[in-house]
Amino acid sequence: MNIFISGGCKNGKSYYAQKTAVEMAAADAVDKLYYVATMMSHDEEDEARIKRHIEERKGSGFITLEQPFDICACLDQQGIETEGVFLLDSVTALLNNEMFMKGIDNGAAGRVADELLTFAERTGKTLFVSDYIYSDGIIYDKDLTDDYRRGLAFIDRKLAAKCEKVVEIAYGRETVFK
Amino acid sequence: MILIFGGAYQGKLDWAKKEYHIKEEEIFFCTAEAKEKEALPGIDLDAHVIYSLESFTLDCVRKGIEAKDYMRKNRDRLENKIIICTDISQGVVPRQKEQRDWREMTGRVMNYLAAEADEVIRIFCGLPHKVK
Repeated sequence: MNIFISGGCKNGKSYYAQKTAVEMAAADAVDKLYYVATMMSHDEEDEARIKRHIEERKGSGFITLEQPFDICACLDQQGIETEGVFLLDSVTALLNNEMFMKGIDNGAAGRVADELLTFAERTGKTLFVSDYIYSDGIIYDKDLTDDYRRGLAFIDRKLAAKCEKVVEIAYGRETVFK
Repeated sequence: MILIFGGAYQGKLDWAKKEYHIKEEEIFFCTAEAKEKEALPGIDLDAHVIYSLESFTLDCVRKGIEAKDYMRKNRDRLENKIIICTDISQGVVPRQKEQRDWREMTGRVMNYLAAEADEVIRIFCGLPHKVK
């Protein structure tokens, strides 16, 4: 089962996803648990955040795969078992990298959506973590921020349609949409 | 009255079109563009489906009209309508006054409409969740 998880910032999405991934691996008797990290470090603040996340995952059995671009490439690495459970954190950072880190790429959202759908198909047991950034009261004058929001929403909707389960996490509480 | 809300680009209209078999000509797209001098806000209460209510509320802010009062006055015309609005209530307080006023104006009219509506549905990543 693939699961799509979204919600506001610092609401417990990653915690929920990690807990669920561990439970899923136990229930399906899967011994490989992968954490697909998409965030790139740009400064000390990011570095500290990444370190804290690694520290939090210690002891829960995750193998970390760093894949900030070209997301399906990690599935072709030697020794990777695609029947394992994958936690992909996050769709948001992945689109950011693909859209802005190698010059501005307006075609990124469509490509990332296709790649993530392939990722879901090839693994069948992925938890996708995204961010719900669509309810602020700011008027974006058709700028890059709005292109990014529209792109991420496009990916979210594709993934939500594809995944067998869709949940929103609000301060640790889950709402199941599917 | 059915009230549908959700964040930007969540597929609110796509979902409503499919669910209620709405035809394009039944939809009124609210606007806050130009027409600043006109007294009437950018909404057509004769349409079966009213989309982008947040544009109507922005227009109200610009024209000094209270959106909630306008809807209350026209309450009998809201029967059997489908109203769709973007949820703009969950971000940081905007720096511009107009956007702050817009957020509050939208909140007030949405509270009123949600209380009056027979059904309230939130769309999240293309999927519905019945709130009322």
